[in-house]
Amino acid sequence: MRTVVAAFALVAAFSLPALAADQVEKAPPTGAYKKVSELVKLPDFLPGLGQLYVDPKTLPAGPFLAYDREGRLVSTVYMLPVEDLSNKDKRFDDLAAPGGKVDHVDVYFNAGHPGVEKPHAHVVLWHVPKADEQRVAAK
Amino acid sequence: MQGNADGSHVWFDPLGLRIEPGQTIRWINLDPGNSHTATAYHPKNFERPLRIPEGAKPWNSDYLLPNESFAVTLTVEGVYDFYCVPHEHAGMVGRIIVGQPGTSPIISSSSQPAGSEPLPESALRAFPPVEEIMRRGIVRPA
Repeated sequence: MRTVVAAFALVAAFSLPALAADQVEKAPPTGAYKKVSELVKLPDFLPGLGQLYVDPKTLPAGPFLAYDREGRLVSTVYMLPVEDLSNKDKRFDDLAAPGGKVDHVDVYFNAGHPGVEKPHAHVVLWHVPKADEQRVAAK
Repeated sequence: MQGNADGSHVWFDPLGLRIEPGQTIRWINLDPGNSHTATAYHPKNFERPLRIPEGAKPWNSDYLLPNESFAVTLTVEGVYDFYCVPHEHAGMVGRIIVGQPGTSPIISSSSQPAGSEPLPESALRAFPPVEEIMRRGIVRPA
């Protein structure tokens, strides 16, 4: 019996990191993530991106977690100011990537919006196939 | 107030307009994927340089979500420059001329609050010339 208890304790101990990790597959994600539309005045659902969540401490880079209308994670987005990308002394290291498997990546310019006002690049790690991008398209 | 699908381009349309004193301007956010403001260049708005006639009342719409609107009635003659707070660096600015533009320069060193941030080059380049607004009455983005 003692062996069983010890084995269970060992399994539980090794499982702790996984249990402690944020749940991000479904909205709302756990942890320090907040809905972007409640942090700044932006539409709740952004056509092309979806419903965004971010840990405010990680602004402006993110990661931003993007969900479709059913609350399913579709992408992880990083927002990198253009002026920082051209600054040789500025780096973005060790950005969290909690979304799991990446199907493909889009990188494009954005003129800015509340929360990340300066022109920046969106780096989008899509966790769904290209065809499923329409899950966050405009209605 | 408009923007394209991926947010890479945002603009006021029209970006230049001539009106008569007492007329009302209304901005409507027609961009489904972004928030915008119509904010006068004035020291009372985030200590920005004065780019509306002296004595004219400044305005700031605050953030407008899609389909929200904001209106202001302008009575003092002259040139009014305004911008979108989150998109000034993207060159989202506009210019209204009420009546006659007058002869005073649009901006002087004395009208810029000490320590205030000058306009980014992208914004300065985007203003339509006063002469073009006077000639055409309305200037739309190219």
